[in-house]
Amino acid sequence: MSVKKMISADKKNVSIIVENHFDFSLHQKFRDAYAECNNTGTVFSLELAKTTYMDSSALGMILLLKDHAEKVGGSVVIKKPNETVFKILEIAQFHRLMTIE
Amino acid sequence: MAEYQLTEAKLALVVDDSVMQCKVLSVLLKEEGYRVITANDGARSVAMYIKYQPDLVLMDINMPIMDGYQAARKIKELSEGNLAPLIFITSMDTDDAFIESIDAGGDGILVRPFSPEVFKAKIKSIQRISDLYLQVKKLQQVQQSDAELAEQLMSGVIESRNFALEKIGVVKKAAELFSGDIQLSALSPNGDVFVMLGDFTGHGLRSSIGAVPLAETFRTMTTKGFSIYEIIAQINHQLYHLLPADLFLAAAIASVSSHHSSVCIFNAGLPDVYIYDGQGNIKEKISSFHPPIGVLPQLLPDVTLQITSVSSTDRVVLISDGIVEARNEIGDMFGFERFEQATQAALLQGDISKGVMNTLEMFCQKTPQSDDISLIDIPCGGWRDYFREHNLLNTDKKEAIEQACIDNEPAWKWQLNITGSRLSSVNPIPMAMNQVNDIEGSGEHWQSLYTILTELFVNALDHGVLGLNSDLKNHQIGFVAYFNEREQRLKKLNSGYVDLVLSYHPFEQGGKVIIQVSDSGKGFDFLAVVKNQCVNDDAGYVVSGRGLGLVTQLCETLQYDIETSTVTATYVWEK
Repeated sequence: MSVKKMISADKKNVSIIVENHFDFSLHQKFRDAYAECNNTGTVFSLELAKTTYMDSSALGMILLLKDHAEKVGGSVVIKKPNETVFKILEIAQFHRLMTIE
Repeated sequence: MAEYQLTEAKLALVVDDSVMQCKVLSVLLKEEGYRVITANDGARSVAMYIKYQPDLVLMDINMPIMDGYQAARKIKELSEGNLAPLIFITSMDTDDAFIESIDAGGDGILVRPFSPEVFKAKIKSIQRISDLYLQVKKLQQVQQSDAELAEQLMSGVIESRNFALEKIGVVKKAAELFSGDIQLSALSPNGDVFVMLGDFTGHGLRSSIGAVPLAETFRTMTTKGFSIYEIIAQINHQLYHLLPADLFLAAAIASVSSHHSSVCIFNAGLPDVYIYDGQGNIKEKISSFHPPIGVLPQLLPDVTLQITSVSSTDRVVLISDGIVEARNEIGDMFGFERFEQATQAALLQGDISKGVMNTLEMFCQKTPQSDDISLIDIPCGGWRDYFREHNLLNTDKKEAIEQACIDNEPAWKWQLNITGSRLSSVNPIPMAMNQVNDIEGSGEHWQSLYTILTELFVNALDHGVLGLNSDLKNHQIGFVAYFNEREQRLKKLNSGYVDLVLSYHPFEQGGKVIIQVSDSGKGFDFLAVVKNQCVNDDAGYVVSGRGLGLVTQLCETLQYDIETSTVTATYVWEK
């Protein structure tokens, strides 16, 4: 279980990479990954290629990220979820709230 | 009110066969503010421990009658959760002595010779740990008793007031004391049964906090006659403002109408909702089509309820993800396939909730449950019998008695004229019913009035203003097509009106309501519409031999004037 963060040189693109289980235990780490990124128009990419499982509290955490992104006039893009994770996002109809690639 | 505890001096028990040693340690302990009692052998120390329950025990190892290790084991056995720290005092400076001390339950060892300062430091450090432990334990106890109280209150508010639990199968297995899952059922005044299965984010107390306002809103709005969509929109609005952004409610809501042989479903973030036929085959699966409740400030505008025609042997099954994600010892999930098989088998045996839970328990064995598990099984038919047995909706024909003194002037009159696009967004029936309830008080008899008002208003809107052909409603499949067409026309509506007038004449026992509904339409075949309502009634219940519909049955008189497109109905009730 881990959260990694990569910030582009112009600080407009923030990638957050979550590996293995994405659940409540990552709450603090996940928040820390974006809380300081306040540049106007920042695009937050949530890389889920290596995420194997996600629970409803993870969905809640993504919503908090979305709130933050909207506050700074930016957006959230979810990238490469595997089949299981995509199913969870689909049931919650998250594609209606943000971009899933 | 805060609790104040007077801190009494702590009590230490010193155990040593040498009276001299006892005295030396006692003096040091008193200097540290302890009260001290002493024992000179192991057996006596156990007796003293039981009697005085000291906060600290200092134990010599070599003693007559019972040695220090034995005494320590006894004491630790007796103290169970109560951690009074026990320190061995010895001159045996060996690894074995140290290991056995800890093994016997000692919390530390002090080897002679030691200076008074070292002794005091040791006592302080051990007391610090024990204070911390006591604090944690106290907090835990407070939390536990608060949680138990809250749980009691919540299940009282929520579950005990559910409707028709003997007919609706409900499974609720919480992973913790609190369930983040919530099951609600209520009866709408028109005889539709509303059922909701919700799953709040996470589980435990944090996730059940939204359950109380949710249950209240669901119940109040259902019994006031709001539509299922209006209720969901309101709950969404409420939870969006009430809960923090990361807390939301995945929910499926079903309204079962035996009157129209149809089921309306809204699935916002729960696994597929199932409709099974009487043989246990899956007739339809309704996947989630809206983000969970409380995520968005308003419901998505392009989303409508999913409507399905059902027969009386069909059953609607709602589940939360806890069932399909339950794991066995080797980590396999129960999954949808096993769930569907179990449901079919259980349905054929006659009890879905019991059968599925048995299969699930066999599958999981003793693997601890990690999420709340719930299931609701709702029969689509047989509600008429149920209402009759429980005397719920008084739809039986009444022998109304003409009262001797009927005033010519009504005691009050209430009128509402709704026009244009407001017709698609406002439901005037709850407003009308509120007026009646406010002026005349609440009562069972208003349920029939509600049914009459709803039917007459819907007829005026559908066939008058919207000009829909009632023939469509004749068939079960046609009903769905009819409803879709209705939605289309409602969205485009920007002209026309429906006028609603209620006049109330009180009797000595009971009263009479005259209802007048007129619309802007060209007039429609009222009799055909009324007849259709009868065709769509529960099979087996021909409402009356004269082939009249529900409204005719409830009304004393019913007249339709095609010229003015006005229907006048009188409803009489007696005490």
